[in-house]
Amino acid sequence: MFEIQLSSAGQVVMAGRLDATQCDTALRFLNALAEPGVIDLARLEYIASAGLRVFLITQKRAKGSGGGIRLINANQQIYDIFRYAGFDRIIDIARAAG
Amino acid sequence: MNERRTCVPGNAAQLPVLTQFLKEFWAAAGLPPALAPSFELSLEEIFMNVVMHGSRPGTAPRIELSLLLADGGISMTLEDDGPEFDPLSLPQPDVEASLGDRRIGGLGVFLVRQMMDVVSYHRVEARNQLRMSKRIEAPEGRTDSPSATDGRLA
Repeated sequence: MFEIQLSSAGQVVMAGRLDATQCDTALRFLNALAEPGVIDLARLEYIASAGLRVFLITQKRAKGSGGGIRLINANQQIYDIFRYAGFDRIIDIARAAG
Repeated sequence: MNERRTCVPGNAAQLPVLTQFLKEFWAAAGLPPALAPSFELSLEEIFMNVVMHGSRPGTAPRIELSLLLADGGISMTLEDDGPEFDPLSLPQPDVEASLGDRRIGGLGVFLVRQMMDVVSYHRVEARNQLRMSKRIEAPEGRTDSPSATDGRLA
C-alpha cells in the first residue's frame, strides 16, 4: 500500500511503502506540482533506492527553478537510509520528534 | 521451519509477492522485527537488479528466493537463470557528490552492503547466485563475544 496526496495546508503527504512498484505513481504526482516544497513522511514506512530516486529527481527539478524540497517527520529507519546514501547532504530532511 | 524457498518470474510486479513471503517467514520464525527492514530493502535491491539487468530479450528470468536460519544468523539468497551479471562489480556510487553530480546507479547495492554483514556473488551452473547474511544480535551483549562462541560449542 502506498498513498500520496496534498494536505489542506499544501504539503505533500506520503504513506505506506514507496517500493519500486510505486515510484512511477509518486513521481507522476510530484511532477504535476509546479513547486514541490514540504513533503511529510510521518506515515511513510519503507523506502529503498528506487524511492530515493524519486526524491533526487524532484529535488533536481525544484532546485532548477530556485526552490527545493524539505522532508519532515521521517522515521529513524528511513532517515538512516537517506543518511547512508548521503542524501542528507543534498536534501533538507528532518526526523520525527521524539 | 529453518529454510523456505519460493520461485517467481523476474517481473517487477512480483516484488510484493516476495516481500510478503519474507514477512511470513519472519513471523513464523519469530525473528526480531528490527532486522526485517534491512532484509526487505536488500530483497528489493537485488530482485530489481535482476529484473532490470538480468533479462534476455523477450524472456523474463526465473528468480528463486531462499531464506535460511543457521549459525545464529539469517541468510537470504537470490538465484536467477539470466545472463551472467555480478551486481557487486558495479562501481561504488559517490555518496558525497553535489546534487548536480548525483546518479542513482549502484546505490542499491551500496545500501545492501551497508545493511548486511556478508554479501557474495557466485556464478553456479549458469545461474547467478547472490547471497546475503546478517547475524542475529543477542538481546543482551554482543554475539561476537567469547562467551557467545563458547555457547555455540556447548
